[in-house]
Amino acid sequence: MDKDTLRRLEMLNQLSLTEAQKEDVIAFFEKRDSELSVLEAIDTENTERMVHVMPIMTVVREDVVKKQFAREELQKGAPDTDEGYWCVPRVVE
Amino acid sequence: MRYETVIGLEVHVELATKSKIFCSCSAHSYGSEPNEHVCPACCGMPGMLPVVNKRVVDYGMKAGLMLNCDINRTTTFDKKSYYYPDLPAAYQTTQWFAPVAVNGLVEIETSKGKKNIRIKQIHMEEDAGKLVHDIMEDTTHVDFNRTSVPLIEIVSQPDLSSAEEVEAYLDRLKNLLRYAKVAECEMAHGTMRCDVNLSVRPEGSDKLGVRTEMKNMNSIEAIKRAIDYETARHIDAIENGTEVLVQETRRWDDIKGKSYAMRTKETAGDYRYFPDPNVMPVIIDDDWYEGIKATLPEFPEVKRAKYINEYGLSEYDADRIAQSIALCECFEDACAVSKSAKDAANWMISDVMKTLNNKQMTYDMLTLNGKKLGELILLVTGNKVSRANGKKILVAMFDDETVNPEQYAEENDLILSDNTDLVKKVVGEVIASDPKSVADYKSGKEKALMALFGKCMKELKGNCDPQTLRNILTEEVNKA
Amino acid sequence: MKIYTAKIDTASALKVVADDMILTTACPTAAGSKMLDGYMSLFESEALTRLKNAGFELCGKTDVGEFAIDLLGETSYNGACTDGEKILNPTAEAVKANEAAIALTLDVNGSVRRAAAQNDLVSIKPTYGTVSRYGTIPVACSGETVSLLASSAGVLKEALDIIAGHDDKDGTSLSEELCASLKKDAPTSPVKRVAYFANMFEGVSECIAQKANAFCEILKKNGIEVVEVEESVIAASRVAWNILMSAELCNNVSRYDGVKYGYRTQNFTNLDELYTNTRTEAFGELLKTAILFGSETLSTDNYFKVYDKALRTRRIIVEAFAKIFESFDAVLMPACSKTEYTTQDIEANKYLAFEENLYTAPASITGLPAVVTGGVQLVGKAFSEKALLDAAEIYEKESK
Repeated sequence: MDKDTLRRLEMLNQLSLTEAQKEDVIAFFEKRDSELSVLEAIDTENTERMVHVMPIMTVVREDVVKKQFAREELQKGAPDTDEGYWCVPRVVE
Repeated sequence: MRYETVIGLEVHVELATKSKIFCSCSAHSYGSEPNEHVCPACCGMPGMLPVVNKRVVDYGMKAGLMLNCDINRTTTFDKKSYYYPDLPAAYQTTQWFAPVAVNGLVEIETSKGKKNIRIKQIHMEEDAGKLVHDIMEDTTHVDFNRTSVPLIEIVSQPDLSSAEEVEAYLDRLKNLLRYAKVAECEMAHGTMRCDVNLSVRPEGSDKLGVRTEMKNMNSIEAIKRAIDYETARHIDAIENGTEVLVQETRRWDDIKGKSYAMRTKETAGDYRYFPDPNVMPVIIDDDWYEGIKATLPEFPEVKRAKYINEYGLSEYDADRIAQSIALCECFEDACAVSKSAKDAANWMISDVMKTLNNKQMTYDMLTLNGKKLGELILLVTGNKVSRANGKKILVAMFDDETVNPEQYAEENDLILSDNTDLVKKVVGEVIASDPKSVADYKSGKEKALMALFGKCMKELKGNCDPQTLRNILTEEVNKA
Repeated sequence: MKIYTAKIDTASALKVVADDMILTTACPTAAGSKMLDGYMSLFESEALTRLKNAGFELCGKTDVGEFAIDLLGETSYNGACTDGEKILNPTAEAVKANEAAIALTLDVNGSVRRAAAQNDLVSIKPTYGTVSRYGTIPVACSGETVSLLASSAGVLKEALDIIAGHDDKDGTSLSEELCASLKKDAPTSPVKRVAYFANMFEGVSECIAQKANAFCEILKKNGIEVVEVEESVIAASRVAWNILMSAELCNNVSRYDGVKYGYRTQNFTNLDELYTNTRTEAFGELLKTAILFGSETLSTDNYFKVYDKALRTRRIIVEAFAKIFESFDAVLMPACSKTEYTTQDIEANKYLAFEENLYTAPASITGLPAVVTGGVQLVGKAFSEKALLDAAEIYEKESK
């Protein structure tokens, strides 16, 4: 992990670190990198990934409309709204 | 040098479900207030968990089967991360690793003949919200009504080579998906959207050229214009070196008739897909799969051939009816009851379709009960109701689905009674009151008989079989 | 520094306290983050609703570390809760003070288990999928579990009976049938053989080792066999879990951007600045590090090498446990390496939580149930909660 890669990673995650934090994060990455050997030592060649740990069952719902929340409630804690819309600085397309 | 254009399409189709894909908000927001159909889940608040709408999987499977795809019997959902204001959770739940359908084939027909277009995959995903740009205020307004409305994305292989083929392909998709009743596919409503991947290469070359992706075409006409423009731009760049082609995403401006490179962030395209831990794999067992298969309609060309060969319709009539599954179903039901394909086709084309046109409704919007139409046809062919009154009954059936034709005819005095005596009396009176027309007819003016016929029918308030009236009238006039 | 983020007056004798990862409409839920300061949920945790329906009343919310990934809660935006140098866990403090019969928490990275072990309390992290996660702040969804903390095992059995069960609102919720074995009246197959994970005890403090020995003695005295077992694969849980947890966390906290609710920076002129400054100002250091690390594990270059590898390792670990459970009913291991953490420990290693979870990651990554009692941890077969709590009760009775 170098600073350029980290800068890109910060941008991707909408974060901006101080120089001191960058040092810490790079140290953290280096430690995690070295730990990867623990996983590399495990043979997973013929093992399938496991996303869900419990027995898989298809949980689906019927196509029924329920209206449970009023817009006013949803927007009560919003930083900026206007006539029922959430607002952000203008996006140029 | 001659060039060929290589085109692959990514077509997004909004599925016609009632509720959204992972929450129970309404999926229909046309004409709604902004953010009316929104809940904590689809506006990105923490703590609600996605539960898959079964009908979305039903429709995804149906779409896959209509496009001759293999269905992944274990299909999974994945998260795709990026920041944009129309994506409230900053991730879109989509299918990356195991989409619902793969390896399909769609046959299209153009002026050059028939051609197969391969489908790479169809995946199910959630739609994003809508942004409304306020130029005056330097603010963008965000509406999440469309967020999480179910979509399928149909990804073709780069098998298309002209705007004409693209049009035929999109028409075919639209037709098949409408037949399966899974989607409206109306570009003007945004329920069908299309991104075009295009490159150009010397004819016969097997090496692909630089590919660009075009977005923001809102009609088939715009797509065709965009393809023609982009093809010319590529050829110009290759031949004259006017610019260096780069792989990029471009935005089509239909008013200016040009495509422009879109401004993209340095990190664009780094989506960090991973399997969604909150959505279990959807396992499509045999019962589910067979159940969906059983609901698939016949393909349009199968219907057409059947109408010509079995029902005895003209090619023209068969084409007209086979263009919409709603028309087909109504027609077939009407045939089953009336036992007359010719009469049913006649009613479909000259009455039902005309009424839909007058009401500015699409053929797919037809909800008329075909069995009841068949009953109505029987009333008319059995001389119980006149053709003119039959039309009146049909209007009533359009306005109110509960209308039963025979009952309606009785309640509204539209049944033709066996009223030969009354008809003879009325004919006698009309002849007596209009000696001029009688004389005209006898001197050879055929039209005069029609005037008498009209007067009689008016007196009878239409309550008479036209043929019966004609017979009696001719007989009585000749006697007079 | 806070124990409670909110207190609610209640006269009820049956009180529950919830940590600040559990959503309620009664008071704000901040998840220990400035980002959600004052955030009011429009709905409530299913587990809390079930407890309330059974007669419990919510008496308050306890503070948590930012998104509950730290050691004990020290990364809360309210500051660490300390007793001089010793770091305290707010939820454990509330339970010790008898403010509530039980505490409802979200076990993301083991903080509640460490707190139980260091405060002589009892905790249960039920089998993944048996308690609805509806209404909890999502962080590491593939392994985090609504958990309970109390001063004795008996009350945990009662509470588990109430909160366990299928919930239509959680797509990973198991069927009522599978959840049935957690219910009070379900038959139990008792713990008879326990595997003592010798290698897991290698790095722990003397005091923890003694607690483990005392625990084993009591089990043996009650006819439960304890056998030393060497198992190396399970220790890899930590590395794999750090990858999975960070990646899922990165994705889950990306929704906090200053647009829909919560904190918004004052300092922006365009959308990019709004996003970046909001997140940079509102998130703490440990969380930022985890976000960046998680993001990197999912990058195109790393996905198969790192993330997918961790998912495969998860299966290997699940299989390793299954193998052990062929001959044992439960596994005994530490819940933490020492009996307290100090502020100096954190100063020396900011990322200690990503190392101390060596002991909690095995149950997190596999979804297996874990009971902490007597300062140590029993990890059992799926759905064996009641047997584990019975064993905890044996210890309670004998240690008094």
